[in-house]
Amino acid sequence: MNTMVKHTVKLTPNYLEVNGKRVAETVAGESFLTKLYRLYNMEYPKFFKMDVLCKVGFVASEVLLGTEGGERFVPRSDRAVLLFNRHSSLHADSTFQHTIANPDEFYPSPSVFVYTLPNIVTGEIAIRNKYQGESSFILLPEKSEEAMDQAVARAFMDRETTSVLTGWVEAVSETEYEVEMELRMKNDE
Amino acid sequence: MELTEELKTKMIEALNLEEMTPADIDDNAPLFGDEGLGLDSIDVLELIVLLERNYGIKIADPKQGKEIFASVRTMADYVAANRTK
Repeated sequence: MNTMVKHTVKLTPNYLEVNGKRVAETVAGESFLTKLYRLYNMEYPKFFKMDVLCKVGFVASEVLLGTEGGERFVPRSDRAVLLFNRHSSLHADSTFQHTIANPDEFYPSPSVFVYTLPNIVTGEIAIRNKYQGESSFILLPEKSEEAMDQAVARAFMDRETTSVLTGWVEAVSETEYEVEMELRMKNDE
Repeated sequence: MELTEELKTKMIEALNLEEMTPADIDDNAPLFGDEGLGLDSIDVLELIVLLERNYGIKIADPKQGKEIFASVRTMADYVAANRTK
């Protein structure tokens, strides 16, 4: 399958890069993700309820799709969302565990629990953008370009998919995360 | 602190309503639906946990939720009448 990368976004706790160019950097004492949310006028209040994995995936996807331009939020089934990481939703899992660890303070938090699955990230992106194509979050034993390329190639094998929002979305704590996301397009030429 | 103000503060914290302050929440405004705070079904569950944890109130009948969580005022009235701590 002949494909081409249209745009890329890299997000770390220290900076944001778009198409290889650094466009924002963090300042000590601020919430970098909230800063980007406001800087890019994302206007999606649910952002504030998300766990860190969902936040980094959401912010990166918003920047990436804003860079792509064109009409958004129109239902479409020709775009897949295919993300990867190693630690799944471990941070949310751990946070939830703390809400049930003490038998005398046993108050399972529903709002934390909803994020104890990594594919909530792909779901949020699909819902936000009205994508109705394939949506998967795949766990890998380690970051592997080869394994990710193979999965993306498989996504293009159906008759509908013409582009894939894909990449590595890892967040092990509020201050330790790494996102490398890209838009891959089917290239028929 | 008045119970309504206390509830607003706890709600903002529990529901991560970062953009809001207690002053932004009208005592009588609906909490759910497009006209109010726009809370969802997960938020209802979180509010049920909030009442149990902070005021010792267990809501056994989910049907009660619609009346109890209609607004901050109805929540405060229910808490005042039923709290065990």
